[in-house]
Amino acid sequence: MTKPGLSGKLSLFGMLRRSLIHRRARSISALIAMTVSAGVATALLTLYADLDAKLHKEFRSFGANIVITAPASAPLRPDALARVQDIAGKDALAAQFAYAVATTDTGTPVVVAGTDFAAVKRLDSWWQVDSWPEPSTADAALLGQRAAQFVGNEKAVALNFAGHLITLHGVGRIKTGGEEDSRIYMPLAAFTAWTGVGPSVIELQMPGGAATVEATMARLRQTLPEMQVQPVRQLVEGESKIVDRTHALMYGAVLLIALTVAVSVLATLSASVLERRRDFALMKALGGSQMQLMGMFLLEALTLALAGVAAGFVVGSAAAWAISEGNFHTAALPHLSVLPLVFLLNVTIAAMAALFPARVLRGLQPAALLKGE
Amino acid sequence: MSVSEAKVVTGQLANLSGNDPSGNTRDDCAVISLKHVTREYAGHGSVVRALEDATFSIVAGEWVAITGPSGSGKSTLVNMIGCLDRPTSGELKIDNINTAAMTATELDRFRADKIGFIFQQFHLIPYLSALENVMLAQYFHSMTDETEAKTALQRVGLGDRISHLPSELSGGEQQRVCIARALINNPPILLADEPTGNLDAANQKIVAELLQDLHRNGHTIVMVTHDPEMAGLAQRRIALSHGKVFCHPVGGPMVTLRRATDRL
Repeated sequence: MTKPGLSGKLSLFGMLRRSLIHRRARSISALIAMTVSAGVATALLTLYADLDAKLHKEFRSFGANIVITAPASAPLRPDALARVQDIAGKDALAAQFAYAVATTDTGTPVVVAGTDFAAVKRLDSWWQVDSWPEPSTADAALLGQRAAQFVGNEKAVALNFAGHLITLHGVGRIKTGGEEDSRIYMPLAAFTAWTGVGPSVIELQMPGGAATVEATMARLRQTLPEMQVQPVRQLVEGESKIVDRTHALMYGAVLLIALTVAVSVLATLSASVLERRRDFALMKALGGSQMQLMGMFLLEALTLALAGVAAGFVVGSAAAWAISEGNFHTAALPHLSVLPLVFLLNVTIAAMAALFPARVLRGLQPAALLKGE
Repeated sequence: MSVSEAKVVTGQLANLSGNDPSGNTRDDCAVISLKHVTREYAGHGSVVRALEDATFSIVAGEWVAITGPSGSGKSTLVNMIGCLDRPTSGELKIDNINTAAMTATELDRFRADKIGFIFQQFHLIPYLSALENVMLAQYFHSMTDETEAKTALQRVGLGDRISHLPSELSGGEQQRVCIARALINNPPILLADEPTGNLDAANQKIVAELLQDLHRNGHTIVMVTHDPEMAGLAQRRIALSHGKVFCHPVGGPMVTLRRATDRL
């Protein structure tokens, strides 16, 4: 006996194509369901692939997540900032601060901080500053929103520290809603020359998740044992929680949508088989084996799943781009790496959805069906 | 045929069903042979016996009509002769091969080789042309051959309709495509289930003449019919009632093909 084969004018794929075209509405409905499934999976997985980087970037804008403080008895070593930067890596942002309490020309005590404006501008990008001083200007000052009230003349801020006078030129105001509002910031070099006080605090913004921050802190403690290395707890824990919850949310969304789509595809494929029970019964009567009929049906489901993957990848990538642009102000480019996962998901959905119709096919009674019973 | 006229053939009386004028079964010539075939189905807490102890045989080249009211077991019998089902007990031989012992896969293959189906409702695939519908039977049998399929359609008078879809063909034409499909793999048995049940008188006549022609050319035809005139075309009737087989012995009511087709 010869095996059933393909030649001449009639082929398996030809029959499949004609069948799909013949049942246009049903095919389109199944294709839309599979496209939605692949599209949502593509969009979420594309966003997921960039999620950590994007969220960490967002969190970076909240400022330092590690604070390194010199012991009370001594200021920071002169090479402290360089060593911290060396340990944390070139992607980490760091700035050092020196603090002193001076009195203003109105006789009000105020905290004056010396720092590197260029580094702070990068580190604390969330600060609301109406005008950052030029780094080269030695007498420039940033006045905190509240501190400015205790200053007679913002253009010539006269300060007294232990009898040492200095006049700074206030170039802008700072507003954070925190303790920064009560301070006056000035260049570190001028501050040290004026007060004789060196930097005592380094604020460090370490990119990466909670684990990276913890690891960096451990290295810092080991290398700089004389210093106190503390995390900005709320920020590190908050970042970790938000990243974890966003991951869980995305997993949940993919699962929920996959299940919804599976139900929809199940309904479509079931209706497709029930509508064509007689066609399949005829094929069985003509000698088609259970395997052949099942193969034809599964090939149809697989074709729809593949077409859905192709269309869904395009739609999903576009959606990911739009979502990313809207929320993170940066485009999420299509990730080909998500394609195997999307393919796997859609094929799994198609296979799951094909289980019931496959049972219908297995239970076909050609004689009764062809008789119209 | 009324039940009172027929002779109950079960078990030992089955010998009357052959073509031997003496009444003996000619198993050596039988293309279909049933011995004590019973088919039971599990019902709601009970067993339904759809066919009971059927024993008869049909010889090669014979034209047999299977008749009986609804629920008499005709479909069950046709399922088994058509290798779509297997007996619960008994022996069913097609072309001297016991189908009762076959697996479902073997039965599928065997069916493609041995049986050509002609259906009352034609059952053509709506999105395939007449030619492709014929080739579909080739596809499940072996290899498709367009030339052979065209020849089969020409044989039933549809040489000029090969590219038409079923929806573009009349009922009679669709039935002729169905006959061409049944013939394409050259099966030893043609199983026709109410072949003219859905046709008008003119098309009934065309189909009856086609069957007559096929019979003349040596095909074995097993035909289920409610139509006494179509049944009259057959050489022999096998009647069913309540799952039991009643056979007319050879020499029973026969109508010549010419007379029957004339009436149609």
